[in-house]
Amino acid sequence: MAACIAEYSMGIEPGMLVLLQTEPSGFPLVREVFRHALALGAHPYTRTHYPDLDEILFTEGTDEQVGFVSELTLAEIERIDARLVVRAPDNLSALASVKPERLGLARRAQSKVMERIFARKASGALHLCLTQYPTDASAQQAGMSLADYEAFVFRACFCDRPDPVAAWRELSGTQERYVDLLSTVKELKFESADADLTLSVAGRKWVNSDGKANFPSGEVFTGPVEDSARGRIRFDIPAIHSGRPVSGIEIEFENGRVKAARAERGDVLLQSLLDTDAGSRLLGEVAFGLNYGIDRATGNILFDEKIGGTIHMAVGSGYPETGSKNKSGLHWDMIKDMKQGRVYADGSVIYENGKFIE
Amino acid sequence: MTDPRLSQLAKVLVHYSIAVKKGDWVRIEGNCVAEELMRQAMVEILKAGGYPMLRPSLPGTGYILYKHASKEQLEFIPPSAVVEVEKLDCRIFFWGGMNSRELTNIDPKRIAISSRAAKPLFDKMLARISSGALRWVGTMFPTQSAAQDAEMSLEEYEDFVFRAGMLHKPDPVAEWKKLSTRQAKLVRVLNRLSTVRITAPDTDLSFKVKGRRWINCDGRQNFPDGEVFTCPHENSAEGFIRYTFPAVYQGREVENVRLEFRKGKVVSAKADKAEEFLNAMLDTDPGARHVGELAFGTNYAIQRFTRNTLFDEKIGGTIHIAVGASLPEAGGKNKSGVHWDMVCDTRKNSVIYGDGKPIARNGRFLIP
Repeated sequence: MAACIAEYSMGIEPGMLVLLQTEPSGFPLVREVFRHALALGAHPYTRTHYPDLDEILFTEGTDEQVGFVSELTLAEIERIDARLVVRAPDNLSALASVKPERLGLARRAQSKVMERIFARKASGALHLCLTQYPTDASAQQAGMSLADYEAFVFRACFCDRPDPVAAWRELSGTQERYVDLLSTVKELKFESADADLTLSVAGRKWVNSDGKANFPSGEVFTGPVEDSARGRIRFDIPAIHSGRPVSGIEIEFENGRVKAARAERGDVLLQSLLDTDAGSRLLGEVAFGLNYGIDRATGNILFDEKIGGTIHMAVGSGYPETGSKNKSGLHWDMIKDMKQGRVYADGSVIYENGKFIE
Repeated sequence: MTDPRLSQLAKVLVHYSIAVKKGDWVRIEGNCVAEELMRQAMVEILKAGGYPMLRPSLPGTGYILYKHASKEQLEFIPPSAVVEVEKLDCRIFFWGGMNSRELTNIDPKRIAISSRAAKPLFDKMLARISSGALRWVGTMFPTQSAAQDAEMSLEEYEDFVFRAGMLHKPDPVAEWKKLSTRQAKLVRVLNRLSTVRITAPDTDLSFKVKGRRWINCDGRQNFPDGEVFTCPHENSAEGFIRYTFPAVYQGREVENVRLEFRKGKVVSAKADKAEEFLNAMLDTDPGARHVGELAFGTNYAIQRFTRNTLFDEKIGGTIHIAVGASLPEAGGKNKSGVHWDMVCDTRKNSVIYGDGKPIARNGRFLIP
């Protein structure tokens, strides 16, 4: 896994300054990435992030302290060439009791850091990678033993295959072909027993997410034309927001907007999220999940949205690099199993029963 | 550095809950995530003159056993376990592990093979408990896993657990003795009642309790504790109830359970989530549709629902009514493989009547 991240995802080269950031339980992975980064001639350094200290800051710090961003952080962002963030939670409820306003305060303060990070990323000067180290907390969330969850994560990362890097290069090539195909398409139609939805992707750019920014990955996505979605769809995999599952979501679109929506469970949260702002009833993303090493939902979006044989759509903000113009404080992915569905591109079938027709 | 509340907890468990005497064999069992509490318990057992027998288990080993063992291996009982069940004077259980969903994907039939093989030992243990030869207590060691289920950070959860045990007070043993005395008075009053009627939003349920014993749960077997319970007459429940807290059983959660009783039997069971599971449990055996326990939660240091029955059923001002097996010490006669405690909040818009007169209002008793 570490070799894959260092060589393939991060593309570490001699002389690069590489920040490896983790939570305490992710140390075993960071140790190995550190070793690979050294062997590749880079200058790796590490930072351990303690969620317990966040809790203390959020509950005991003043507003000024919560909103503080040090110039060291800003200087670091300008200087590093690559950053790996390893998620390795010990308790997914660690911040459950922190007031949302305090979290919002910190998020707003971080926005100038994020702005610089994305600017340097867009210029190609900074490479970012996010990954997940399997812990008991995530296994518990997924309803598995740690041993089973580790096997699940390694399969998702193709680390159960003889040459994982080759497997990722192959996935990248396959997805590139889908991107080429989809780039010629104006209109997509999603059809199954509980979906009949049409949207336009004319002039939008499809992105090949091939395990470099997210590891694992395995999806191609774009931002649909904002006022184009029409029809109905049922998202059968629970959509998680702030740790809470919303399941059995059914949505009807008209002129790109969510006209009606209901959920079997978590309907109140669904309605309030859709009312976040002007952009939260429009689609910001449409995507195909293409990682066939991921075969089940585990309540973690990093994995769920990439399940091979699914599609997902996000209400709320879109990614500017796709040409999406939708802006919102919300970006919420909802996933649908398409193993018994079809996708039509400008009238002809391109995808059937969970797979692109080659 | 040891959290001082852990040494307090060890003192209460060893000197109050199971009251270890000189020469007692005391077995300590639990996940080694509780190692510091095990050390503290060992100190107190040695001070009391007992013989501590440590049995820490490693995280993930339960899963390994159920996943890889053959039928014979699942049924294996070491000869030493047979000796111990005859000879032990005390047992302490530390609950709480690294992953509350560790066994979710294990076939329940495989777990049942182990349980069946251990049944003679289990029955022997129950017999020795009821004769007074064996004293036991179980407590929750606060872990990240349990904190996550309770939707709290570990630090918050530790505060919650230790406050529920009154371990933040200077003399916790004195506090538990006070609670015990208070509940003993309550039990004397309740023991004189013939009927109990519970009213709350969407709830109006009556029972006959005449001749049954109310039991004072004061921190000797469960820690923390704080409840009084009895087993109502098996055919007496009449009316309906809506359980305001999710009902949790075998790691599954059922929301907004609504039961209707006629002549003691559940005749209708509805829920917003997992209604099928609820009905499957009620159909386990004939006893599963009858009430096995009626209880008042009296620990007012517990206010929050945390998805752990040990704490939830003791929330001060709540009641819980279990379907399934009843407890012989209270005079209960209902037999079932199920005993499912479901908790109902009676802290608002609720009156509980004893023989027609109000005995509790909005979660507070009107009698001493």
